Amino acid sequence: MAKEMIAMLLAGGQGSRLYALTEKLAKPAVPFGGKYRIIDFPLSNCVNSGIDTVGILTQYQPLVLNEYIGNGQPWDLDRLYGGVHVLPPYQKASGSDWYKGTANAIYQNISFIERYDPQYVIILSGDQICKQDYSDFLKFHKEKGAEFSVAVMEVPWEEASRFGLMVAGEDDRITEFQEKPKEPKSNLASMGIYIFNWDILKKYLEEDEADPESENDFGNNIIPNLLRDNRKMYAYHFDGYWKDVGTISSLWEANMEVLDPEHSGINLFDEDWKIYSRNSGMTGHKICSGAVVENSMLTDGCRIKGTVKHSILFAGVRVEKGAVVEDAVIMGNTVVKAGAVVQHCIVAENVTIGENAVVGAMPSGDEKGVATVGDGVTIGDGAKVGPNAMVRNNIEGGEEQW
Amino acid sequence: MVKSNRSALGIIFPNSYDALVPELVNVRMMASIPFASRYRLIDFILSSMTQSNIHNISVMVNNNYHSLMDHLDSGREWDLVRKNGGLHIFPPFAEKESKPYVGRVGAMAGILDFLRDQKEEYVVIADTNVVVNFDFKALIKAHIEKGADVTIAYNEQEFPEGLMKSQSNDKGFYYTFNIEDGRVTRIFVNPREEGVQNFSMNISVLRRELLIDLINTAFVHGQEYFERDVLLPRLNKLNVQAYKYEGYVARISDIKSYFDENMRLLDDYNLDALFSGHTVYTKIRDDTPTRYVEGAKVQNVMAADGCLIEGDVENSVLFRGVKVAKGAKVKNSILMQGTVIEAGASVEYLVADKNVTIRAGKEMKGTDTFPVYIAKFRTV
Repeated sequence: MAKEMIAMLLAGGQGSRLYALTEKLAKPAVPFGGKYRIIDFPLSNCVNSGIDTVGILTQYQPLVLNEYIGNGQPWDLDRLYGGVHVLPPYQKASGSDWYKGTANAIYQNISFIERYDPQYVIILSGDQICKQDYSDFLKFHKEKGAEFSVAVMEVPWEEASRFGLMVAGEDDRITEFQEKPKEPKSNLASMGIYIFNWDILKKYLEEDEADPESENDFGNNIIPNLLRDNRKMYAYHFDGYWKDVGTISSLWEANMEVLDPEHSGINLFDEDWKIYSRNSGMTGHKICSGAVVENSMLTDGCRIKGTVKHSILFAGVRVEKGAVVEDAVIMGNTVVKAGAVVQHCIVAENVTIGENAVVGAMPSGDEKGVATVGDGVTIGDGAKVGPNAMVRNNIEGGEEQW
Repeated sequence: MVKSNRSALGIIFPNSYDALVPELVNVRMMASIPFASRYRLIDFILSSMTQSNIHNISVMVNNNYHSLMDHLDSGREWDLVRKNGGLHIFPPFAEKESKPYVGRVGAMAGILDFLRDQKEEYVVIADTNVVVNFDFKALIKAHIEKGADVTIAYNEQEFPEGLMKSQSNDKGFYYTFNIEDGRVTRIFVNPREEGVQNFSMNISVLRRELLIDLINTAFVHGQEYFERDVLLPRLNKLNVQAYKYEGYVARISDIKSYFDENMRLLDDYNLDALFSGHTVYTKIRDDTPTRYVEGAKVQNVMAADGCLIEGDVENSVLFRGVKVAKGAKVKNSILMQGTVIEAGASVEYLVADKNVTIRAGKEMKGTDTFPVYIAKFRTV
């Protein structure tokens, strides 16, 4: 039985610009928005769009991601035929290879895709925050009679040169592709989400693999080759919320935008397009007498005795009496002890912030740094972490790191 | 060598004591009453069983069970989707002339063939009106060590007011024990004595073969209740041991105690006591985290996910998806899933069932001894 479209999700990225947050896990597994991980977004989009077969291509630190995905049940992707499959590089009779590039990762899994005999394959990126209906995208692809379509966002012209740009005519047909050009001819940025006709994709993957000069990358190799051959390529305009959370500041910003769904355009509270995640199994959260909670999001297992303002707290976070948490993203099971001040920062999972310690600072003037504390770190009593610090190791009581 | 308790199966009676809380069971049963912001009562005993390695569990539903079927579904959330054992939901076996059974004897008589076919050596049985994080391993271990025929768990507590007040026997039977050297020497049915008592939790363990024999005999004689009709007359013949449970116990015996037991969990000490044992599993709803907007005032509140809080909330328990609009005031209340308190409305000592709406500017006030209850889907 053939599937109309299956999804291949690129989740191998290290996310090296997220430093302390991605030392032990791949970027798609980074927690986001109070109870999610980044990968919940493309996975939920798939299910909500009617795609029931997803291959997840992993390479870097896959352990957390593997365990998190499990059998795919939280996303309703535990299916008899199809469902979610984690696809790490594997050894073949002809030898073994890491995934050399995005295109090579798909190439190495051609046999996986062929099991489902799909007409179309959608290539997704596991490191973006975006709610998107892929069935609309597929409809566009079919209506255009396209062989390849790419989802694009209009970006401000002055920022266009930071992106891979699609130059397209009035009919959305793509005529040129510019990778981070000095002089942009278009402001349509590629979101890195593609729909291919499977026969076309397969042909170009095989051709690309045979080319020893190739970097085996979609943007640098496959798309230019499609253009060279004058394939039917179209740009699909997407105008919803989309954010590549590749840096600490963009990750922090995207979290803060969740707190303001009325203006930011990202509304997680929409019942018609739920984002699914694996559940913590903790009891309801608790706000004690004397606590202050404003403009924040809390989830199961949180216990608040101090002050929490404009912040996102993940499952099981404890904020003790007299502690202040402001403009902060605090991930699961972290404890903020009495009198500590935690501001304008991202604190990873299982961190202990000692009594009266100071982490980060509210922006003043040009100083807008987002302090970051990595997984499992202990910050001693009275220690100080500056607004630009990236903390990966324990800090003793009273010491400072800037 | 004590045998592993892998060889126990569980039987749960989700309808027993329904009559104690007529308001709450109008559209459901005892087992599916929401509790502690994100659970249903059955979650506690079910999670206790599965985490004590009991993976073959039968739920003997009698009536009003749609809400429970919806909640339990395949049993996946409790890790009960198994090739061997798993979750079984047994509705009453209806025949032309027969009425549904009353009591545990009738319920179990209907599944004797099933029980004969099982492999487990022991059976544990429980109701759902007692909220506990119970270690069945310890119960079974004690049962085996004492060489008991039957072991029943009890706790020492004051007799609940709700039970004292119920003057008739049609609300079900409850039991206290006299205990000598750990052995139950007398069972009192619906006693009226005040003060601290050895109060049965109706959680028992016995060998499967013995249970089958006892139920078979009792059913033939038209008997109904396990404790009253099976154990009480046999206290001389059977070694019935009492197992003292010292953990946290919340008993639901009327709507007042339902209110109080929810409120009691606002104290961290109690919350930790109930939840420090096994994880308590429940149905997943995939709500977003709860959002508190600028200007919200929240004090001493337990809340589940999916709420939107814009107003003032104090001393309250909020279930999933509750909305408290700007300028609304909620005090000393329990708001079940999907309750909406509109702008400027004010409620105090209120138990709002699922999807209740309190319209803008309205006031609803009960008292600490008599909380107001509003039924599911009602709008004030």
